[in-house]
Amino acid sequence: MKEPSVVTITVDNKEVQVPGDTNLIEALKAVGLETPHLCYHPDLPVSGNCRQCMVEVDGPRGMVLTIGCYTPVRPGMKVATSASSPKVAEARKAVLEFLLVNHPLDCPICDKAGECLLQENYMMAGASDSRLSPEIGKQYHGNPEHSSSDSKGQHRGGKRVDIGPRIVLDEERCIQCSRCVRFMRHVAGDEQLQLASRGGHSHITTFPGEKLDHPYDRCVTDICPVGALTDKSFRFRKRVWALSRIPTVSMDDSLGANIWVDYADGIIYRIMPRCNPEVNKSWLSNAARDVVQNIHENRLLNNDLSAALQIIKETKGKIAIVLGGSCTAEDIAAFKKFNIAEFFGGSFLPVQKADGIARSGDPVANRACLEKAGINTNLGELSKRAGEFELLITVAADLWDETPEEAGDLNKIPKRIALTSFNNNTAKNSAIAIGIRHWLENFGTMINSKGLEQKLQGTPTKEAALVDSAAIIAGRLHG
Amino acid sequence: MKWSFVPRGSKPVYITVNADEGEPGTFKDHFLMREDPHRLIEGLIIAGWALGARNAYIYVRGEFLPAIEALTEAIREAYKAKLLGKNIGGTKYSLDIAVHRGAGAYVCGEETALINSLEGQKGQPRLKPPFPAVNGVWNMPTCVNNVETIMALPWILENGPEEYQKLGTPKAGGTKVFCVSGDVKKRGVYEARLGIPLMELLESEEYCGGIVGNLKGCIPGGSSTQVLTAEECKKANMDYESLASMGTMFGSGAIMPFNDTHSVVEMLNTLGKFYSHESCGQCTPCREGTGYVQRIISCIANGKGKDGDIELLDSLCTGFTGTTVCPLAAALGAPVQSYIQKFRSEFEDAILKNPEHATPRLSENYRPQGWWE
Ligand SMILES: Cc1cc2nc3c(=O)[nH]c(=O)nc-3n(C[C@H](O)[C@H](O)[C@H](O)COP(=O)(O)O)c2cc1C
Ligand code: SF4
Ligand code: SF4
Ligand code: SF4
Ligand code: FES
Repeated sequence: MKEPSVVTITVDNKEVQVPGDTNLIEALKAVGLETPHLCYHPDLPVSGNCRQCMVEVDGPRGMVLTIGCYTPVRPGMKVATSASSPKVAEARKAVLEFLLVNHPLDCPICDKAGECLLQENYMMAGASDSRLSPEIGKQYHGNPEHSSSDSKGQHRGGKRVDIGPRIVLDEERCIQCSRCVRFMRHVAGDEQLQLASRGGHSHITTFPGEKLDHPYDRCVTDICPVGALTDKSFRFRKRVWALSRIPTVSMDDSLGANIWVDYADGIIYRIMPRCNPEVNKSWLSNAARDVVQNIHENRLLNNDLSAALQIIKETKGKIAIVLGGSCTAEDIAAFKKFNIAEFFGGSFLPVQKADGIARSGDPVANRACLEKAGINTNLGELSKRAGEFELLITVAADLWDETPEEAGDLNKIPKRIALTSFNNNTAKNSAIAIGIRHWLENFGTMINSKGLEQKLQGTPTKEAALVDSAAIIAGRLHG
Repeated sequence: MKWSFVPRGSKPVYITVNADEGEPGTFKDHFLMREDPHRLIEGLIIAGWALGARNAYIYVRGEFLPAIEALTEAIREAYKAKLLGKNIGGTKYSLDIAVHRGAGAYVCGEETALINSLEGQKGQPRLKPPFPAVNGVWNMPTCVNNVETIMALPWILENGPEEYQKLGTPKAGGTKVFCVSGDVKKRGVYEARLGIPLMELLESEEYCGGIVGNLKGCIPGGSSTQVLTAEECKKANMDYESLASMGTMFGSGAIMPFNDTHSVVEMLNTLGKFYSHESCGQCTPCREGTGYVQRIISCIANGKGKDGDIELLDSLCTGFTGTTVCPLAAALGAPVQSYIQKFRSEFEDAILKNPEHATPRLSENYRPQGWWE
């Protein structure tokens, strides 16, 4: 990576050092000055259409108003923000008023409330009184298919447009920032969303007869600065200010996307992408989010090791241990102490091509650590030699659920112990099943497909309080 | 001139004629193209040769059918006479002209929206810089000029630029095609030297032949320019400096004098409808603001105005300046502010028609603090 250049500019009559190869929003952020913005997103091309990020910059004709997101940093430039220039403060406030003219008063029932950029900007600009009167009113003229008039004679738009299998659109809340359109066009590479019509009639829509349906479509709910696009799986389930968040790493595939886990009272509500420019930028696939869908259902809570210890003691033949892709480096090291056993790792699932967004395509998340520990990640070999073994211990490797057919060969091993988080087929197919923490609840280390070492941090769910991590169980089985 | 910004040699250069003519009150380009399409082609060949362009586009408003027919016919004739296409008139220079019909959006007269529309995208202005002269059609240097600008070229080349400069004022030479509509005896398209006094244009027999009724005011350069009162009309000369000194603009050359039978509030209501309808919807102040302003004006016009509406209009229009992608929002803001400033009493009278004009905007039960505080 290139060393970022540092240049000196004057902000509000003070000289500051900022990164040179970026725009003013990012440069000001680097010195702790937040610029209110809506359409600008660091991982999308600039569209510069919300006009919220006004600053003043010196030009040939003196200080002129311009947008911060589209103004590159130039050494020696003079910048005035709302702190020193009443003109900037006025302009930002004017834009904010325009944004709110036709915006519904939905905050109390809006899922975005608490993490809504529009709300934040409103508080930043200093809440001001409304200058609307009933005659002038809020008049939303969006998609004619969903428009209606309410009892006060005001034009209303679609409040819950079913825009796709996973997403709901509230047309009135949309501020036409085009983030979602740019995401679909430039990141997903599949232009399913469009801003149709013009003027006050412009609205977000899909092509006629089509739906928003893409393996990354839930990203649009993250980047939508307001509550226009919401996720059906999270809608109305929890107010966001009641959630705590844990930064961790997704073990759904070997890219190790950086994520936030949002939880409250021991229950995980959603996974959100955590921006890491070198790994997943601000994106996260639907599949990686779906992990939390059933995380609290059908959990295996058996914590009793006595039967397992008995079996291990009685076993005279060879033992095989299969470590699943979501085992951390610490889990692997703990099991490696079983020097009487032969180790295998990974899964029967095929490796797919990387999609270039936030998936590596390799379902064995911690393959790098497994290989570093000298573990054979070719399960096909275990299938072939299944007859040699007397005992099989699977650790976070739910082979009978992922690939029942391939796993069938392993039924030849007479005794089987499963360490798994769920009471699934793998657990049922084993003589003894012991509950372990899910990777979302686990602490440890993983190395991703790009060779980056990343740390996992566990979420304190209600199940995590009842079962131990694989590494701890390994120690107890051993000692 | 802005041609000097066009980089030469490195990339193909395009020349584009802006014949979108959307400004209310303007009809000169349509007339010029219909009556003398050959001169436009001649001008384009000159301009194309000067810039080294191989292709030229004429972006015409789709509704201008007679002009489009005349143009296509003239272009066909020019190709036949080997005055267009490969090696024009036996020289080394080649030029092709294509006529593009726009769908009739006002904003597509803005250079970068025109380019987007020409490329087949949504007609929305682009962020600047880069300007079209550096990065325009197909991301290549592009020169966008009005029909009239291009049509002036043949005459200048024939008679020399000195002759052209002599017409008009010392600072801005040449002539200008004006289109006069409204309350005058002879409406129409007139060519006059720059700097001609406005009243001479309106009253002399050579031009418009006099005002109908009592002159109340005049829009000097298309609907987006600031209005002039009757007093100011007497002092105005039709050139850039004189009009700028009166706080208005030269604009497109569309002059619209109106007499005292017209209500200024109604006029502004019509303008508001036009601009809020023509906003491309890209940027916030214009998308939401033009409709907001229009609703306030329409309330005033319909006898539902309230005290404070005038100040509200004024402050909203201030919010248009410098905050938008293109000047369309300001093109509504400027007339609104000037009408209010110059004809304030008419607005006040209109508001007084509402018997409840003095009731406060917000009800007494309204508490500025939210219930959660
Ligand atoms: C909203 C808007 C609408 C415009 N409409 C027209 C138009 O209809 N015709 C035109 O010639 N120029 C129009 N313009 C001006 C053009 O952007 C541009 O300045 C002009 O084509 C330059 O031509 P010239 O240098 O030959 O005068 C418009 C500008 C704006 C901001
Ligand atoms: S989008 Fe934001 S401002 Fe709008 S209703 Fe929702 S929380 Fe409130
Ligand atoms: S739906 Fe959301 S992201 Fe898309 S344009 Fe509207 S506000 Fe922006
Ligand atoms: S000012 Fe109006 S017309 Fe111009 S870009 Fe913005 S929304 Fe479009
Ligand atoms: S953030 Fe700069 S214009 Fe929207």
